[in-house]
Amino acid sequence: MIIDRRKVLAGAGALAIHPRVARAQTHVIKVGVPMPLSGPAALYGQPALKGAEMFAAEVNASGGVLGRRIDILARDSKASADEAVRVARELILKENVHFLVGTMTSAEGPAVSTIAKEEKVILIAPIPKTDQLTAPRNLHPYVFRTGANTTIEGRSSAEIMAKWTNVRKVATIVHDYAYGQDVAKAFVEHLKRLRPDIEVVDQQWPKLGEADYTPFINAQLARKPDAVFSGMWGGYFVTWVKQARPLGYFETLENRIINPAEVGSIEVTRTMGADYPFGIWSNTYDIAHYDGQSEAHKKYIERVSAFTKQDPPSTWPITTYVAMQFLTEAIKKANSTDSDKVSKALLGLTIEAPFGRQTLREKDHQADRGQFYGRMVKDARGGPNAVMSEVRYVDPKPFMD
Amino acid sequence: MLELLDSGFVLGQLRSGVTTAIFLFLIASGLSLIFGVLRIINFAHGSLYMIGAYIAWDTTARLPGYGVSFWASVLVAACVVAVLGAVVERCLLRFVYRREEHYQLLFTYALVLIFSDAAKILWGTEAHSVSRPHGLAGSVELGGVRFPTYELVILAIGSMVVIVLWLSLNRTGYGRIIRAAALDREMLGALGTDVSSLYTTMFMAASFLAGLSGALITPIRSVVPGMDVEIIVDAFIVVVIGGLGSLWGTLLGSLVYGMVLAFGIVIFPRFSIFAAFALMALVLIIRPWGLLGRPIR
Repeated sequence: MIIDRRKVLAGAGALAIHPRVARAQTHVIKVGVPMPLSGPAALYGQPALKGAEMFAAEVNASGGVLGRRIDILARDSKASADEAVRVARELILKENVHFLVGTMTSAEGPAVSTIAKEEKVILIAPIPKTDQLTAPRNLHPYVFRTGANTTIEGRSSAEIMAKWTNVRKVATIVHDYAYGQDVAKAFVEHLKRLRPDIEVVDQQWPKLGEADYTPFINAQLARKPDAVFSGMWGGYFVTWVKQARPLGYFETLENRIINPAEVGSIEVTRTMGADYPFGIWSNTYDIAHYDGQSEAHKKYIERVSAFTKQDPPSTWPITTYVAMQFLTEAIKKANSTDSDKVSKALLGLTIEAPFGRQTLREKDHQADRGQFYGRMVKDARGGPNAVMSEVRYVDPKPFMD
Repeated sequence: MLELLDSGFVLGQLRSGVTTAIFLFLIASGLSLIFGVLRIINFAHGSLYMIGAYIAWDTTARLPGYGVSFWASVLVAACVVAVLGAVVERCLLRFVYRREEHYQLLFTYALVLIFSDAAKILWGTEAHSVSRPHGLAGSVELGGVRFPTYELVILAIGSMVVIVLWLSLNRTGYGRIIRAAALDREMLGALGTDVSSLYTTMFMAASFLAGLSGALITPIRSVVPGMDVEIIVDAFIVVVIGGLGSLWGTLLGSLVYGMVLAFGIVIFPRFSIFAAFALMALVLIIRPWGLLGRPIR
């Protein structure tokens, strides 16, 4: 006999006390965090979780929210949509969490969003980038995103490239799947608006997981672009760079390349060491030191450093830290942990994030979250590793719509 | 598609196609060899390749003096993987030879899962990177095309492997026994050959090739979990096109796959992968035993 796991779970939930009744009886505010904690994505999932844990520790030390403690209940989503849905359901039905803050990939986010809608439990997604998560047809009162989306990332990159005056012919290389297609589209459309004189001469679409980029690199060079937008990330970026360098890719383009997708983070620069393509532009969620850094941000970095015993600390804790900030501010404003009241309080809510002011927009539940962009160079600060220079926070407010 | 008229561009794509092919050959030849003699479809061949890559990365990081240490670690990786292969064959695989094919498939698939978790426990889930060996980081220009020097060396090593494999299969006594084993192992056993030790040797040789190709690829690709499954899919396409069990078929299959990828992206920018799969499907329909393979009786 085949037993449907979901039906059993749903049945068990119905038999027990209704979850919302059970939740109201507890004094602790429970926040469920589905996040990849094993497998390749754990490299980012583990430090991302630290941000929420640190935030909870800080809030609890100063008396909690509405006089109540915050408990973080982390579950391994294994970077899979099915597993994320399973653990999200378990968190809601068995652990009676009040809120969900989590998911990482663009597959997990939308999948857990449907659970949030069904169970009327708020999901704040700190990392997934796909525009689909908060697109009009998928939007519902219980889903919010505090991370940058593909539109913000593609357009931020276009804003930077638009200032490169000697560029006329542009090419793109991204993986042929949701993230790559969306980010390239956002980049190209915005760039054409900013610089009608620029022509897109080539677009390469290797499949996700492609191990051999050389034919794509060679074909791209043959079209003689002046500059390139690349959407490579993580280990794929490492492979791509290794194959492109001996073909003279970076030399020919004189490093007029912008590659967001956080390859400017210390996680990537540490892996690559001296093999990093110094001179390209990239982005990162967070950066330990830069000119014009606010006192609040410096203090935040010190705290993360102490909490994670890492110096400089990972660039990922900020993702869930900001999501938790939004959540607790909304709970305070609503003076309640009721999903509907907190959901209303989140609309248009403004907070002071460590790196500056952030607003969760009422119309699309999307935060005006920008990232740090800069040129990756070799200098004394990084030793053999690349460090970001000319650092700027690209505020997406003017070009989000 | 106008680029196809530009000789520099065509040469560049040819170069990248051949490089892809030589790596695929190194990995797929072992797969094909095992099938040809042991009649086992070894899913775990990609895992041995992955372990070779991890060992090469690990040893390079430990040994001093980069230029020498890279080649030393390639050798270490290939040998360790060969020994691992022998252990797997002796202690595990020989118990499933007489089982039905789907048991064998499930068994080698189980090995894939075990090796992949073991690699994560031993080496973590981060992407690792190995720099190109000293003196081979640059490129040389031939006929207006840049040839990365490291890839030229790989080309030389790959060609040597083709020749050595062909000579040892066709010009040595042991090779004759191997070919006989591929045709009729029972008769060979009846004639007094120790078939069981022959199998171990073959599996060891194939594992050596897997470890070698995994180690040699580290300066070109990143060492990450998942590289095992990635490569085994490509290797299967190659042997299906060329013919399981045929050395020249594997070489031809590798070249066809490399060229389809290199030129496919010019003609159908977003469908070059589809082209490779379509080609495989076509071969399966017209010649199910592959271009140079032999029908299995």
